Amino acid sequence: MAFQSGPSASSPPARPSFWDISAWRAMYPGMWAWVIQRLSAVVLLVLFPFHVVNPYIAWLRAVVLALVILHGMHGLKVILTDFGFPARHQRKLLWVLTAFGVAVFFWLGYLRKAYWGFF
Amino acid sequence: MVAGGVIIRVRRGGAADDPEERHQTYAIAPRPRMTVLDALTAIQSELDPSLGFRYSCRVGMCGTCALRVNGRPRWACRTLIEGLGESVTLEPLVNFPVLRDLAVDMTPFLDKMSRARAWAEPTEAAASAPVELSPDSRQRVRIDPHIECITCGICYSACGMAAHDPDFLGPAALNRAYTLVCDSRDAAGGERLAEVADEHGIWRCHSQFNCTEACPKGISPATAIQALKRRAAASGAKSFVASIIGGLAPGG
Repeated sequence: MAFQSGPSASSPPARPSFWDISAWRAMYPGMWAWVIQRLSAVVLLVLFPFHVVNPYIAWLRAVVLALVILHGMHGLKVILTDFGFPARHQRKLLWVLTAFGVAVFFWLGYLRKAYWGFF
Repeated sequence: MVAGGVIIRVRRGGAADDPEERHQTYAIAPRPRMTVLDALTAIQSELDPSLGFRYSCRVGMCGTCALRVNGRPRWACRTLIEGLGESVTLEPLVNFPVLRDLAVDMTPFLDKMSRARAWAEPTEAAASAPVELSPDSRQRVRIDPHIECITCGICYSACGMAAHDPDFLGPAALNRAYTLVCDSRDAAGGERLAEVADEHGIWRCHSQFNCTEACPKGISPATAIQALKRRAAASGAKSFVASIIGGLAPGG
């Protein structure tokens, strides 16, 4: 029996659908960081105009600042790896920057009272 | 189900001559230290001779048996069934056309190796006599962490940008290009850098680092891509400055 030839060149590469949960399990922390950074940008785009119009809404202030810190820390991670921070240690960098971001958020909240007692 | 047994759920179909995608389950009794590949050969010899998968060396040297185990790309021969849970889902790599069940067509992936000129083009000196690179030389230190690639396709399956852009060269080809760009014995360095520095090359990488996380050889293709980006940016800046100086020069 002759061997079957491979698929034709037009055969599309396998790609799981968006709704296929098993495909999302393949995501590693670096990928989640990337997704979260993109999503935080979109949410900021929506929320920021409300903050500019009325900067005295405590919860909005807290959420906007949290998102800005999140987006900024992940951006910093990409910049650092772009400029030579070894990519094989990117996961450690991610945790360090995330911890730093959380610390900044609570420092502003508790010590600087930036959210007017929202917490 | 066998007591202490494991359910192996295999995705089948999705190929040009067998388009209907479905999952088929098999119950097996795992032996101690049984690998996913052992389970597949047991299923094929004892339960279902029609199951399609591919392997060659069985010891993690050839990279032929790469597939997705519970969603993550891994080598079947180096993944123990133990610790994967009572139900193990096996699927073909993503970003590759399926040939049959778990076996994928590597052609698009290998074509990209060609596009990245993944072969040495020796300088005249290197072609005529062996040229030594000392183990502690800067070049060797840069190249060494990137040369162990066996083109198994795991990084390419893990890459989010390869899924987004079918023309993206992908982590493996760019990693290989980097080892050659760094090597002074290679004559095509500058040209190769220019060829991979486009929207389907290094600039398509969005630093998601899935390749680095997934590589079973511990290579970090993302490190290679970031280094290529810096080299391309430096070379672009140099030619930009040169063009300005050239424009200012009398008669320029």
